[in-house]
Amino acid sequence: MTQPQQFVRPQPFGGRPVILFRDDSSRRRFLQTALVVGAGSSLAAAAAAMRDPRAVADATANDLDILNYALTLEYLEAEFYTQGLGSGVLDGRDLELVEPIRDHEQAHVEAVTQTITDLGGEPVDKPSFMFPDGTFDDKDMFLTNASAFEELGVTAYHGQVPRIDDPDILAAAAAIAGVESRHAAVVADLLGENPFPAPFEKTMTMEQVLEQAGKFIEQ
Amino acid sequence: MNRRDLIRGAAVAIPGSVALTMLSAKWALAEGVDDFDGPVDVLNYALTLEYLEAEFYRQGNQSGLAEGRAADYLGTIQTDEEAHVMALQDTIAQLGGTAVPAPEVDFGQAFGSLESYLETAYTFENLGVQAYLGAAPALFQQKELLSAAASIFGVEARHAAIIANLQDKAAEGGVYQGAVETPADRSTVLQAASPFIVAARTY
Repeated sequence: MTQPQQFVRPQPFGGRPVILFRDDSSRRRFLQTALVVGAGSSLAAAAAAMRDPRAVADATANDLDILNYALTLEYLEAEFYTQGLGSGVLDGRDLELVEPIRDHEQAHVEAVTQTITDLGGEPVDKPSFMFPDGTFDDKDMFLTNASAFEELGVTAYHGQVPRIDDPDILAAAAAIAGVESRHAAVVADLLGENPFPAPFEKTMTMEQVLEQAGKFIEQ
Repeated sequence: MNRRDLIRGAAVAIPGSVALTMLSAKWALAEGVDDFDGPVDVLNYALTLEYLEAEFYRQGNQSGLAEGRAADYLGTIQTDEEAHVMALQDTIAQLGGTAVPAPEVDFGQAFGSLESYLETAYTFENLGVQAYLGAAPALFQQKELLSAAASIFGVEARHAAIIANLQDKAAEGGVYQGAVETPADRSTVLQAASPFIVAARTY
C-alpha cells in the first residue's frame, strides 16, 4: 500500500533545548547514545545509559523499549500542556479543546507506566524539561509548538507499529495513537492550518525522533 | 420483501448475521470466533467502509449544504476517503485477491440539512476509527498491511475530531472519545453501517 515514509517536520522551538540535563557529562552520555540508535536502541536505552553507559550494549528493540520511548514522549507532552495551560493564554473554545489534551497525555503517562510495570519492566524516570522563554507567551506560540509536538507524537507512534511484538501492546499503542491524531487535527484547526495534511499518517523512526530530541538538548 | 426493505426498514431488528449476509456472503461464512478469513478479507472489510464513506462525502458535497471552512474540510475528507479506496483496491490486487465492488448505498435524509450531513459524517468517522482498531489484530502478522491500515486509522480519527468541532460538539465525548480510542468488532460495525447499504453486489 502506498504510504509516505521518512518524513521530517520542522522542529518544535526552532530546535532550542527543552530537555535539561543535570550536568555536562549527562548531556554527553545522551548524545553518545543518540548516535547508536538505529542499532535497536531508544530513549529507554538512552535513559539507561545515563545511569549506566554499559547498558546500551545490552539494549534490544523489544516492546518495553518501545513503551519507554512512548512514555518519554508522553511525559514531554503532558508537561508541555500543563505548563502551557498554566500560562493562561487560552480561553473560550481554545481552552475547552486543549484542556482535555493535557488530561489525555497525563492518562497516557499513567497507562504506559502501568503497562511497563505490569510487564515486569522499569519505567523511565520523568526527564527534566525546560521550555524556552516565550514558549507560552501567547496563544500562537503555545499552539504552534503544540502542533509540532502532536505531529511528532503521531509519526513516532506510527513508526513503531510494525515493530511491536505483542498484539495487546499494539492494540493499546494504536488506541493512544488515534487520540494523538485527534489532538494534531484539532490543534492545527485552532491555528487555522490544515488538520488533514495527508490521507495517510506518516511515520518517523525512533532514530529520527531521537535526532530531533537530541537537538533540544542544551548545548 | 426485497433486500432494501429488509435492511433499511428493520435495521434495528436485524441480527448481525443477517446484515453480514446482505453485505457479503463471504463474510457471513467468516463470522465466528475469528472475525476475519485472512488479510484480503480484512482489507475488503475496510474497503467496503471506505466505499461507503467516499460515496457519502461525494453526495454530501454535491448537495452544496456546506460553505467556507466546512466545505473545504469536507472536500479534503472526500479526497482522503477516495485515496483510501484506491490504496485498498491496489493492495488487494497486489495480494492476488479480488476487491469487493462498491455496495449500493442510500443515505436517506442525511443530506436534508447541513446538521444531519455533519451528524451522519460524525457517526461514520467514529465508526471507521473503531472498525480499524478492532480489525488491527487480524493484520498483526502482516506488518506492512498493519502499518498501512494504521496510517488510515489515524486520518479517520482526524476526520472524526474535526467534524465534531464543526458541529461545536463538546470536547470530551464529542471531539475526543476519551484518552484512548475504542475498538469495535466486525458484526457491530456492519450492523451500524447496514441502514445505509441497499444491497451488496455479489462477486
